[in-house]
Amino acid sequence: MKKLKILCLFAFVLCLTGCGGQMEPSDISSIDDLEGKKIGVQLNTTGDIYVSDYEGDEAGTVIERYNKGNDAISSLKNGKIDCVVIDEEPAKAFIKRNSDLSILEEEFTIEEYAICVAKENTQLCDDINKALGELKEDGTLQKIIDHYINGDDSFRYESPEGISYENGTLVMATNAAFPPYEFYENNEITGIDADMATAVADKLNMKLEIEDMEFDSIINAVQSGKADIGVAGMTVTEDRLKNINFTDTYTTAKQVIVIRNGEYNPLLSIKDSFYQNFIEDNRYAYILKGLRNTLVIALLAVLLGVAIGFVISIIRATHDKTGKLKILNFLSRVYLTIIRGTPTMIQLLIIYYVIFASANVSKILVAVLAFGINSGAYVAEILRGGIMSLDIGQFEGARSLGLTHGQTMRYVILPQTIKNTLPALANEFIVLIKETAISGYIGLQDLTMAGNIIRGNTYQAFFPLITVACIYLVIVLILTAGVNKLERSLKKNER
Amino acid sequence: MSDKDCIIKVEDMTKSYGDNVVLEHINTEVHKGDIIAIIGPSGCGKSTFIRTLNMLEIPDSGAVYIDDVNLMDKKVDVNKMRQKVGMVFQHFNLFPNLTIRENITLAPVKTKLMSREEADEAAKKLLDRVGMSDKADAYPDTLSGGQKQRIAIIRALAMNPEVLLFDEPTSALDPEMVGEVLELMKKLACDGMTMVVVTHEMGFAKEVANRVMFLDEKGIKEEGSPEEIFGSPKSPRLQSFLARVNS
Repeated sequence: MKKLKILCLFAFVLCLTGCGGQMEPSDISSIDDLEGKKIGVQLNTTGDIYVSDYEGDEAGTVIERYNKGNDAISSLKNGKIDCVVIDEEPAKAFIKRNSDLSILEEEFTIEEYAICVAKENTQLCDDINKALGELKEDGTLQKIIDHYINGDDSFRYESPEGISYENGTLVMATNAAFPPYEFYENNEITGIDADMATAVADKLNMKLEIEDMEFDSIINAVQSGKADIGVAGMTVTEDRLKNINFTDTYTTAKQVIVIRNGEYNPLLSIKDSFYQNFIEDNRYAYILKGLRNTLVIALLAVLLGVAIGFVISIIRATHDKTGKLKILNFLSRVYLTIIRGTPTMIQLLIIYYVIFASANVSKILVAVLAFGINSGAYVAEILRGGIMSLDIGQFEGARSLGLTHGQTMRYVILPQTIKNTLPALANEFIVLIKETAISGYIGLQDLTMAGNIIRGNTYQAFFPLITVACIYLVIVLILTAGVNKLERSLKKNER
Repeated sequence: MSDKDCIIKVEDMTKSYGDNVVLEHINTEVHKGDIIAIIGPSGCGKSTFIRTLNMLEIPDSGAVYIDDVNLMDKKVDVNKMRQKVGMVFQHFNLFPNLTIRENITLAPVKTKLMSREEADEAAKKLLDRVGMSDKADAYPDTLSGGQKQRIAIIRALAMNPEVLLFDEPTSALDPEMVGEVLELMKKLACDGMTMVVVTHEMGFAKEVANRVMFLDEKGIKEEGSPEEIFGSPKSPRLQSFLARVNS
């Protein structure tokens, strides 16, 4: 019965996506036509900065800001916006796969890309400039660009043989949804920026490590020391210079305007779509890795949350019953207030970018800490409610026999509390599992981000999103079944 | 204190909840082998009084001695002292998450009074005594009220207490189950158990107690043998109380 329901839902969504059809062409033929239109950009890119001048003008221009360039492109295809202002090379990559989109011949602006480095790290900045100079001189940089932009397959940058990374690692922050500068291929981040940065790192005798994150997090990551450099097709702007230093430019690029041309974009067959989303380039591997990360984070966070929840609830209940532990109770209340009063996502970002700013910790650990600490607050209040709702006679019965407060809690109160609060606890665990979907904000490749990476590669929303949704659903169904079974076995001592 | 038979001694004890004084200047003693029935109108502080004897209610001032040890003394381990004072509640307070056997053996084992084997053996004997050996592995929720209260009594007995406190042990029972619980209490009394019983069962007080206390208006208003209390009550309040319960 349950299976049938899921199948019906699946078929229903399939019908909806099938009704895509043909969209009206954008009514834009030059920059002058932008006024009064809905313009899509990627958040905090130079495109965003330039088109922001139009915002709130008399013609009523609307700017829609997206986290990813391909989200903006998807919205354009669906008719939600009229055009997208974006860097030329990604735009070319987008239209290659979407015959219903075109690039206006008239470019929006011309700009120069550079690598960003923390302000205090002037030595690194100088070293990179020297390396860049050498790469420009011997033609390596141009060859890298030719490989990706002109499809010149005769050259592909490889690190020199026998190179020693005696100067450690160089961590590069990027947003790998920006082909051909940075994008995923065979589960690895590649592209002009990636190869150029590798070449620079090789010159510095450092090993390059690439961290994928949201574009608007890159400058934060470099400032806080999470990454040494930011390389993401980033243009030098005055606002950015206030917070960060830039090296010499390594290439110039244009911001162009992408529009709908009104041509028919043939719908892919389900088979082709499935092939592109999962089989091609082994894209299913993103899902597997994401699923593994999501499960690890959820499981460990639940354990941490339960541990914290027990400690806090016992402190709070002991204080409520006996008036002892005043200081611990106060601290617990501060914890509960802060954790329950702020969004989980902000807590995750604070733990990653503020608390562990300069420490090199695993992102999985950060996510486990953030979600565990968050969940602990809710578990604590669920358990405290369970403890307080037990008949006072249970405490008195146990204490009258000479058991200590601790023994009473452990052998009499908590076993009953757990049984009574199991449905509420299960609910909290379900919320927690789904909440891990925001792990992508610290660049952790969880299940949701895996779907987003595939979506960014294939420009198709249906299969990646539905697959990810179904996997979450299955996880929750398994958890629910497990909890129901546990609940039944705990009920054995009832009439 | 010199009297070596004295198990509980209460000295000038006062207890109030906020501005509401419940007990004032209580002085009394419980001797070995005493069966003391505490009677009085509802709300007179009977339950509060009996609960101060094992510190479930902490008195505001005065002293409660168990075996010459003042429970009000901060240095005294109240948990240790409570092992000597068993208590039976109106609502049984059995632990629904544990079997009958575990209910009985939990405290003796966890307080290191007995080993697991000794406690199981003791539980078996106690269950035999009340004829409920077949219920050892059942859970409390499967028992009748009378059975629950009998288990609660032997759970308290398993700690080998010097005195048993009963707080209205039959008030929550269906009428047909009162008998089996009173029967067991009488048996304990015959075996020489020291008992303090808050009760509305005047029959039990008359028949079993050697001393009856009448509590009213914050204190012990009259005290004496069942014959004195029920035969020739002195104070008008006791007279009117007895008239009401006998009508």
